Amino acid sequence: MLVSLNWLKEFVDIKMAPFDFGEALTMSGTKVETLTVVSENVVNIFTGQITKIEAHPNADKLTVCTVDMGTDQRVIVTAAKNVFEGAIVPVAIDGAVIANGTKIGTNDFRGLLSYGMFCSIEELGMNTDLFSKEIMEGILILPENTPLGMDARELLWLDDVIIDVELTANRSDCQSIVGIAREAAATLDLPMAEVPVYDATAESADEIADYLAVRIEDSACPRYVAKMLKVKKIEDSPLWMQKKLLNSGVRPINNIVDVTNYVMLELGQPLHAFDYHSLKSQEIVVTTTADKKMVTLDDKEREIDESMLMITNGKAPVAIAGVMGGENSEITDKTSLIVLESANFNKGSVRLTAKQLGLRTEASSRFEKGVDPELAAVAALRATQLLLDIGACDVIEGMIDVYPQVTELKKVALDVNWFNAFVGISLTVEEVSSMLTRLFFTVKKISDAVLEVEVPSYRMDIALKEDLAEEVVRIFGYDRIPGTIMGGETMVGGKTPVQKFEDSLKNILVGQGYYETLTSSFTSEKRLHGLNTQLEDNLIPLINPLGEENSIMRHTLVGHQLEVISLNYNRKNPAGRFFELSNTYRKNTKPGELPIEAKKLAISAYGSGDYFKLKGVVELLLTHSGINDPEFVAGGSDFLHPGRKAEIFVAGVKLGEIGEIHPMVVKHYELPKRCYVCQLSFDELFECATLDNKFTDLPKFPASNRDLAILIKDEIPAAAIAAIIRKNSGEILESIELFDVYTGAQIPAGYKSLAYALNFRHHERTLTDNDINPVIDQILGELKQAFDAQLRE
Amino acid sequence: MELELKQLRDRCIADLSAVTELKSLDNVRIKYLGKKGELTIALKGMGKLSNEERPVIGKLANEIREEIESNIMAQKQLLEQQEIEAQIKEERIDVSLPGQKHQAGNLHPLTTIINDLKEIFLGMGFSIAEGPEIEWAKYNFDYLNVPQDHSARDLQDTFYYQDDIVLRTQTSPVQVRVMEEQQPPLRIISPGRVYRFDEIDATHSPVFHQMEGLVIDKGITMSDLKGTLDLFAKKLFGEQTKTKFRPHQFYFTEPSAEMDVTCFKCGGVGCKVCSNTGWIEILGCGMVHPNVLRFCGIDPDEYSGFAFGMGLDRITMIKYGINDLRLLFENDLRFLAQFK
Repeated sequence: MLVSLNWLKEFVDIKMAPFDFGEALTMSGTKVETLTVVSENVVNIFTGQITKIEAHPNADKLTVCTVDMGTDQRVIVTAAKNVFEGAIVPVAIDGAVIANGTKIGTNDFRGLLSYGMFCSIEELGMNTDLFSKEIMEGILILPENTPLGMDARELLWLDDVIIDVELTANRSDCQSIVGIAREAAATLDLPMAEVPVYDATAESADEIADYLAVRIEDSACPRYVAKMLKVKKIEDSPLWMQKKLLNSGVRPINNIVDVTNYVMLELGQPLHAFDYHSLKSQEIVVTTTADKKMVTLDDKEREIDESMLMITNGKAPVAIAGVMGGENSEITDKTSLIVLESANFNKGSVRLTAKQLGLRTEASSRFEKGVDPELAAVAALRATQLLLDIGACDVIEGMIDVYPQVTELKKVALDVNWFNAFVGISLTVEEVSSMLTRLFFTVKKISDAVLEVEVPSYRMDIALKEDLAEEVVRIFGYDRIPGTIMGGETMVGGKTPVQKFEDSLKNILVGQGYYETLTSSFTSEKRLHGLNTQLEDNLIPLINPLGEENSIMRHTLVGHQLEVISLNYNRKNPAGRFFELSNTYRKNTKPGELPIEAKKLAISAYGSGDYFKLKGVVELLLTHSGINDPEFVAGGSDFLHPGRKAEIFVAGVKLGEIGEIHPMVVKHYELPKRCYVCQLSFDELFECATLDNKFTDLPKFPASNRDLAILIKDEIPAAAIAAIIRKNSGEILESIELFDVYTGAQIPAGYKSLAYALNFRHHERTLTDNDINPVIDQILGELKQAFDAQLRE
Repeated sequence: MELELKQLRDRCIADLSAVTELKSLDNVRIKYLGKKGELTIALKGMGKLSNEERPVIGKLANEIREEIESNIMAQKQLLEQQEIEAQIKEERIDVSLPGQKHQAGNLHPLTTIINDLKEIFLGMGFSIAEGPEIEWAKYNFDYLNVPQDHSARDLQDTFYYQDDIVLRTQTSPVQVRVMEEQQPPLRIISPGRVYRFDEIDATHSPVFHQMEGLVIDKGITMSDLKGTLDLFAKKLFGEQTKTKFRPHQFYFTEPSAEMDVTCFKCGGVGCKVCSNTGWIEILGCGMVHPNVLRFCGIDPDEYSGFAFGMGLDRITMIKYGINDLRLLFENDLRFLAQFK
């Protein structure tokens, strides 16, 4: 929200430098984002009246103006077309600087000297967005009664500082100059000026009743105040009003509309003015209607429906409550009677309506945050006062105020001892009381340490003692609270075994040259389609995704790993190794429970290594997890190469799968020809892991080594051979290592030779040939029987 | 005989000095001292000697044997030394050639930051809690005291899976779960993924990361909040870091604050990183709202506590000077490999 510091100063005598004031306001809870001088550069621009306009003897497009500057006369040569004799305009004299930093001097225009320059809105540094094209393109014409020789910086508030404040959602009461002024007064401990309002106490209540009645038919309107005025003349509002609107970012329109905007900016109560005769009715009804369309003030046709609160004339809508007035009852030059609406609308109702219409206005954004119903009457009387002050209207006596349920003031008790213990400071009851009083609370001491605090109606955010605690502390100063180290029970904290396990897996992968990736949780059917896999029906689609490509929560990490490989490959990174440990999501078949989130570990590689390299890393992770006998069984998902994929089992539990990416998937994702991926279920891996380390005595007896080269048909998996070797060796087999796989000229086609190094050891005695030879014979016997395998000599 | 022995000795010494390889040295030893060696044979002829001559020659023979043996030993040492010298000469390498290539990967910078934060809080006795990312709306909003009609609940702000199930918009629901499940005293942090309906750009992402912190105990004060988070800031950004607490508003804390830290880049003087303010906004925090405590079955008259939450992606970007959030999620190796 934009706040004019000059306007603010009319309420609070702020003497400190703007920057320091901004800091003070920020530290008491009203965050100041920026402080901007309206027109930093402008100097030496003064008001002057054009007394005579003559043609330039040497140029068709230039005119020569004689200007009365109040103290002297000067000649200004101009190309401007909107100037006229009698016009009062801003004149940049010798030595002036205009908004863009250009210095103005005396210049020769085709043989005639111009002692300065007339200024436009832009040259003055004012916000060009707030003026019509005609005004913007010409010289600024000032009101007739503007004194001559006045410094434009002061006259037009070009020296004003615009404070951009960020309000928190709970402080709807700060959405106004008065709201910020209250904060400023409390922060700086200064008095605050009252807002002058029209005194209606002596009015007859009857006059307005001859014109209008108001009926509320919906609880979304807690209060509706209407005041009627006779229009004397619709014209521009006075300059003092316009400059406040301008410095608040609001475009001046005419005296009536400007007053409604002025009061909204000043007090935070949105107002609306209807043309009484256009209402074509003697009643205003606040209700919902079955109408489908209406044209709003901005000349746009809006689609409305029965969920939206409307202001009607009993038959048709004349305004969308709290959002925007209707074109049908707009103030025009012919308006002679106005109805000033100062109503309160429920924030939820306005929010939904504004959202549905896609129409956020100054009014709706204030109502959305919540406006104090008590403000409605005050604002109506303030507007009345202003309309009288500027000579725009005469009053019609009486005010309509439909206010079914008057809000009662809240009272909250605050125990100062509790407060001190809660915050960790020690203030006296008097100090607390005085800070609350500064914040416009009414404070009564009801016992030694307890205050009864009456909350002003506009402080809708205060309900509990904790709320009051914040109020006191923010005035006391957050920066004055000491920092302490927590007492209480000593807590050990620390990571759980599964958290440590996660870290250790990541560390191993990093050590092996893998880079951790971070990918989004979203995917889509289209993206998953490339995985060559029938989509499961347990996916998690979102009701409101950000586009199709983000429409479901991923159930696998593989798709994202392939996208990472594809990105890197296409960016000419020659090789890559990646991993990610992240959640995957799927439907929960149990009713009434949240979807299942399962952590998975994906590892992928391209550009170097092969299936066995990746498998080696997986085996390393498994060994680290205390899993020594994983099974890699041919098979797995369809996105993997049918001849190069395996499912990984531990004690019958499937941990995941590993393989080379299917050539079709390679094509779809634009991957390098060979890439490899493994995905493990982290939760199951942790279940299978044995993380206790136990010491085993070092062997006292020597080991015996035997090498076996087995000639066997190519299609027999090595795992089957190893299984037979293990089974027949029993406990004395300390280790088995396949150290060579050979196919080629030395052996028959369709065969391979597998060379194993077997290491035998008994922990109580030295093994002899008599122990080992029968084992070897048994192994060879079973291999021969099962696979027709031969010992290769 | 004496002469014969001396000649034998001289021959042997000559033979020894001619030996250039260790394995030939033994041949010389066998030739003279072996069972059938020259000295052995010569001594066998001692029986023929007179009684006077025998001790004299015997003594001489022993002296010669010892002399030969010590010569063999000396020659052995010499040869061994020569052999080692030759080996060393032979095996010289160019030590300036590059080492065998080993490449370690690294963690994602976000993980590194999370690890840094975890370490700081684990040291203060915190534990790490986790909670679901797909969460009941009531845990994400209601129990956190967020008003029913608040715009954060809109489809334009929050992703919905079902009417009552959302992608959590903050890590704060973990607070609620921890308070429901465990008795105070509590000290937890909870880093994790959160989701908001934002198109991805240089500073926004629909998927991002937060870390929540929660402390509940008897007698926890706002001073404790300040002290704890100030300590945290100093550990993360350096001892010279100062903190500034500004009043703010969150539904689940009261009083609430935002914490700024002095810009680590300029030290608070003002620079591009801190938009010339000298301060960088780091986290939101506050005393846990009594309504939230009550929702979770904790008596606010007996216990108090504080909570804080921070955007991890933002802190990662600030700490490493990363200028575009999208880089974090893109996983270009040339980016990933920068964070050793």
